[in-house]
Amino acid sequence: MERRVVITGIGVISPLGDSSVALHTALCEGRSSLQPITLFNTDGLVCKQAHALTAFTPETYLGKNPRALDRTSQLVTAAATLALDHSGWSLEMRREHEVGLVLGTMFCSVHTIAEFDRRGLTLGPNYVSPMDFANTVINAAAGQAAIWHDLRGANSTIAGGITSGLQALAYATELIRSGQATALLAGGAEELCFESFCGFDRAGLLCGAHYDGTEEFPIPFDARRNGFTLGEGAALLMLEDAALATARGAHVIAEITGHGSAYDLAHGMASQQAIHAIARAMRLALQDAQMDPSDIACLSASANGSVLADRHEAQAIATVFQEGAHDLPVTAVKSMLGETLGASGALQTVALLAAMRDDVLPGIRRLEQVEEDFPLHRAGPCNQHVHLRNGLISSVGVDGNCCALVIAQENSGQ
Amino acid sequence: MQQSIVVTGLGLVTSIGIGREAFWHNLLMGRSGIGPVQAFDTSAYRGGMQGAEVKAFRAADYLVRLDPAGMGRASQFATAAARLAIADAHLDVAAVDPERAGVSMGTTSGEPNEIERFDDHVVAATVDQIGPEFIASYPCHVIPARVAGEVGFAGVNMTIPTACAAGNYAIAYACDVLRTGRADVMLAGGADAFSRITYTGFARLGAIAPDICRPFDRNRKGMIPGEGAAVLVLEPLAQALARGARIYAEVAGYGLSCDAHHITAAHPEGHGAARAMEKALAHCGLQPDQVSYISAHGTGTPTNDQRETVAVKRVFKEASYRIPISSIKSMLGHTMGAASAIEAAACALAIFSNCIPPTMHLEEPDPECDLDYVPNAAREHTVHIAMNNAYAFGGNNSSVILKKCEG
Repeated sequence: MERRVVITGIGVISPLGDSSVALHTALCEGRSSLQPITLFNTDGLVCKQAHALTAFTPETYLGKNPRALDRTSQLVTAAATLALDHSGWSLEMRREHEVGLVLGTMFCSVHTIAEFDRRGLTLGPNYVSPMDFANTVINAAAGQAAIWHDLRGANSTIAGGITSGLQALAYATELIRSGQATALLAGGAEELCFESFCGFDRAGLLCGAHYDGTEEFPIPFDARRNGFTLGEGAALLMLEDAALATARGAHVIAEITGHGSAYDLAHGMASQQAIHAIARAMRLALQDAQMDPSDIACLSASANGSVLADRHEAQAIATVFQEGAHDLPVTAVKSMLGETLGASGALQTVALLAAMRDDVLPGIRRLEQVEEDFPLHRAGPCNQHVHLRNGLISSVGVDGNCCALVIAQENSGQ
Repeated sequence: MQQSIVVTGLGLVTSIGIGREAFWHNLLMGRSGIGPVQAFDTSAYRGGMQGAEVKAFRAADYLVRLDPAGMGRASQFATAAARLAIADAHLDVAAVDPERAGVSMGTTSGEPNEIERFDDHVVAATVDQIGPEFIASYPCHVIPARVAGEVGFAGVNMTIPTACAAGNYAIAYACDVLRTGRADVMLAGGADAFSRITYTGFARLGAIAPDICRPFDRNRKGMIPGEGAAVLVLEPLAQALARGARIYAEVAGYGLSCDAHHITAAHPEGHGAARAMEKALAHCGLQPDQVSYISAHGTGTPTNDQRETVAVKRVFKEASYRIPISSIKSMLGHTMGAASAIEAAACALAIFSNCIPPTMHLEEPDPECDLDYVPNAAREHTVHIAMNNAYAFGGNNSSVILKKCEG
């Protein structure tokens, strides 16, 4: 009998709130966290706005000033505090029973890496701090959070671009299913910084001003979309072997019932191949969950306003759900949170868990003209009140990575 | 009944040789890949300025589909190693279902030369010259993506950047993918390129040895940064037998743990490292005294080698004095995320050829490191079970166990 993986706690740090309730409320109110960037100079860049965590104060979550931690590590450690508290895994319990951490991130902290390098270039290699070097490794945030919270179980960092967060949840699910771990914090984190922002801007992927003259904003699936905006945040879920959760009397929020991933060898540059890969990830997740497409109550799309990737995802939904795609409630929270890269899949999951609790799926902000050949009749700006017994989460990279996850209310019969 | 996962191909790009045969021959001969750093000017650094770089490497000599000009050095190593591994496995790629073939790679830094180029522009105030190639070639997940692109594998594509233990994590993950039937064949390993960021960091930690790497020696003075890649072809035993493949070894299991103690230094009593070893043994249903060889993390720093010895004794008790242990970092330097993948390849070859590679430059024993480190000469020894240990910044510990295939 295969072990089942349940979610018993949520920790989220986002510009729209630091609890799943606050985040869900903001998403249902159609609030966007987009604002002009003050974190760094945007001269010479096309996009000037982002979804920054301007009000984040690590002391609120960590009790003391975490000086040794860079911003990404602070986000992860804070989200871990929230998820551990929410799930009831006290420090005493963690000393008795190993808890691990699986973190998805695209860059961890490319800003820390670049600052370290630039100090060496300008001051000379003998004048940089060795402790800054410790934070340049891509697993630094997971390591720092483990030290902070005494997480001695398996500790892995997973990188897969935009899909990192969802891939981390899938990886953690497998560690629990195989018996390698019984309790894991898993999710994703990404910080906003000049280096990644400049990189995406130069690649022409960020949105500029719209052609009707209105300022830049992302509109997933809309005919007017012209790119995405970058955001930041962290989301960690407490995942446990269902038997352990039952034994300790934990409240079970939902279950992870399936995951799937695929790689598009044409990395998004050839439409048919891209659609096929996204659809393949979704189908593998459904197959793993032993579900048919018609069993799925709603879908949280990766769509972020990208001209090509949104098209491919919409067509993949049509491929998998066939005529059922017309009736499938679809949301795209990146319309309000922006593209949070390695955090995005985990943030989508947190948002969907909250939606399932309230049976309200947030609308897609500003989506007024769904592109004509997209089969998404139930994607729009309004919230949808429907029974959400389960949901499919999709994550699509700009580089060929595709991942999908199925979550379900426990004992929902699927 | 879980299916056995076996190693049927080995691709190596290292400072002591490219390709399985050159690598293994030179490893047994005790040849060193360490020499003065050539990648960048080290005159401003205090200390030895030594590195273990891969020299005379031209990716174009190995690649079939992709143009190496469009990729960073770690991706070049990884794609070349993948091609070498597939050739070594005599795997007919055209006969593989591409959607059931995946790639899993570990790395410490991804493509650090790309962010270094970015930083050069920032420092020179030429940010306007940063183009679209930065985001296309820097993020670490480009490494397995390039491997997949080169060999045409469209299944699972995974990057595990758990620093200096990453190769082991990637191999462990690939085995789980195969065991759960989510792929028919996986390429798994690690890759890292020589980098000014890494070199500067280790130099500032005071961790770089001035001349050579002497793991477990009383006079050891540190590690030597290196570079390279190893890729293993992994597949289920039944499939390997059916296609008549040469089987080097079986990957029996693994264990992962975290020190949760210090971001760069190992736990003084080796708690985390010991738990990874114990978990790996439990995963395989093995007793400590059944292990015939331990491939050490063995970086050559004073603290690592002493604490690793403590951890081995904690797990293996009196048997620790009977089990040969060696560190091939004495020859290859520390190849970062590639290291444990290269060492896993060495374990597979040790099992296959019943010969253990030496710990070189071990001349004066350290009373605190009093185990059998196979000093200075390779040793013929029947290896049934090999344990590959790797530890990393972040307190990430990993032990992968390989065993002789009795299929």
